[in-house]
Amino acid sequence: MPDPETDNSSATSAVRFEPDEGWVPADMRFLGVDRRTIAPTLAVFALAVVMSVALPVINAKVPYHDVVKVGDVIELQGGVTFVPDVGWGITSGVRAGQAPLSGEYPATASVEQGALEFRVHTGQFDGDANQLLDQIETTSGAINHGRGVHMTGAHTTIVTDQGKQGATARVTGPHTGGVIAAFVFEGRGVEAVATGPSDAGAEPAAAALRMIRSISRLGDGKR
Amino acid sequence: MTTTTLADLDHARSIALDLSGWGRRFNFYQPRNCAFWGYLVLVGIGILVYVARLARKYDAYGEAIGLAVTSFAFYAALFWWFTQYIDHYAKLPAKLMVVAFLWGGFAATGAMAANANDAILAIYAKVFGQVWALNWGAGLAAPFTEEPAKGSGLLLLIALAPRHIRTAFDGLILGAFIGLGFQIVEDISYALTSAGSQFGANQIGASIGTIAVRMVSGVAAHALYSAIFCAGLVYLLGRPAEPRKVGRGLLLVAIPMLLHGIWDSLASIAGPSTLALLGLLIAVIVVALAIGVRVYTLTVKREQDFVRDVMAPEAARDVITEAELVAVSGNRKARKTYRKSGRDRRERKRARYVLNAVYGLADDLAAARGADTDRVRFARAEIARIRAGGAPPPR
Repeated sequence: MPDPETDNSSATSAVRFEPDEGWVPADMRFLGVDRRTIAPTLAVFALAVVMSVALPVINAKVPYHDVVKVGDVIELQGGVTFVPDVGWGITSGVRAGQAPLSGEYPATASVEQGALEFRVHTGQFDGDANQLLDQIETTSGAINHGRGVHMTGAHTTIVTDQGKQGATARVTGPHTGGVIAAFVFEGRGVEAVATGPSDAGAEPAAAALRMIRSISRLGDGKR
Repeated sequence: MTTTTLADLDHARSIALDLSGWGRRFNFYQPRNCAFWGYLVLVGIGILVYVARLARKYDAYGEAIGLAVTSFAFYAALFWWFTQYIDHYAKLPAKLMVVAFLWGGFAATGAMAANANDAILAIYAKVFGQVWALNWGAGLAAPFTEEPAKGSGLLLLIALAPRHIRTAFDGLILGAFIGLGFQIVEDISYALTSAGSQFGANQIGASIGTIAVRMVSGVAAHALYSAIFCAGLVYLLGRPAEPRKVGRGLLLVAIPMLLHGIWDSLASIAGPSTLALLGLLIAVIVVALAIGVRVYTLTVKREQDFVRDVMAPEAARDVITEAELVAVSGNRKARKTYRKSGRDRRERKRARYVLNAVYGLADDLAAARGADTDRVRFARAEIARIRAGGAPPPR
């Protein structure tokens, strides 16, 4: 309990002067800045450089060899599959029968050979192949605003080895050409894009068409 | 028996105010502070990256972006209110919380963790294969990139506000805001990805599920992880009001990293069973929340001591009662006991108002560094008025 004899002391005591936060003691300055703040700032910058520069550089230096072998089939979400050309490198996606532990295959897979790239993406879609191609054109047009790779020309029909009818169109961009195809398997849309240098020749185009025609959906024949 | 004089109590108040940094104004503009420039550069880069991304996709996914930004703005406001609700004690300046939020939202994401995550996931896929990367990549990348990226913001904040960030509880609160910023920006990005999952069609339908799931699961995600991590960081570094405790610090830094890793690997751990996934998800949320509550009770003690030291002279001068002192410097249970002590509903309601007025006086005393200013005297008079049931002053 407070001592009654000293209880008359005032609550008001002189408040000690405190300089504002911008003030730096004379003996703590280095080139005008507060030297106590240099080390934490450098530590954070070092972390930022490791994350944004060093790790991407290391990633670029690490070689990658996952080459398609005879009999390989790539599987995507919803049982969509395609057969990549032998010798191409798998840059994303997994082989059929090697599902992740969650049991869910990824929605996108891509393979490449040199400057040629073949990418397949799947997702829900209500409509037919031509409507899917229109939707892809609308979305990519809104994102790219006419720049980069974009669709040109009218839609044409393409039929897969499984007999599934889809829609296809040419894509062009700066020094790039290719083809885009769309299929819809009972509410599941599939977009396949093959791109490469515009002067790549006939063989890459044939390989792209082979891979597009190989697109199927597991059990689709039964449906 | 030791006799405590008013002078002793006033001295203890002065020490508590000096140690806690409570009531001090925070000035962000500090051109002679390296952390100020470091913060501006990294947050600036993050904002540029994020705004450029949103702007590029706005024409395609405008509806989904609008829905996500609006939903998560409400979510952030709700969270802000919650942190104010749990922080009754030596409050940090709101400006500092905004600075923390922006670090988490922009610097920790766009300028740091996003780049590292992409690179590490790609390295995992190259070294261990695509399937392994899909199974364990996220769980073994994000804890080592996102938690340090968010936590590093606290280092800059301590350099910017060394007089404010004094306790592990300060780290907990600022960490929560850093995590909230990170979570909101990441959630908007996830909603954007979902909007494109159906080729840009039905983007509201495609993204609303993601928004709902992220909101529900967000109660025990980034904000909680960063709060624990940053409390641990304060223990690791030591502050004037928080002695260094390396073991406890390391533990609190490791726990959110472990939780984060498990969270990101849930689908792989649970396997194809939806039921197992749901059970595991709930279990991880419950465990994370329980740890969060434990860390809160561990760190808040020092803040409660500050409130008691600041308000004890007021009790000694009969401005507040001993019961009110116990209530304002105690936990939720102590406040509830005080409120319930009223004989009828009217008295209980008045007790709540009195407590709020006492907290107001505590804040005013802290802002005045314990001096007897007009504002402090007015705050004391307000307590007396509310306790007596007097009418409020005219507007």
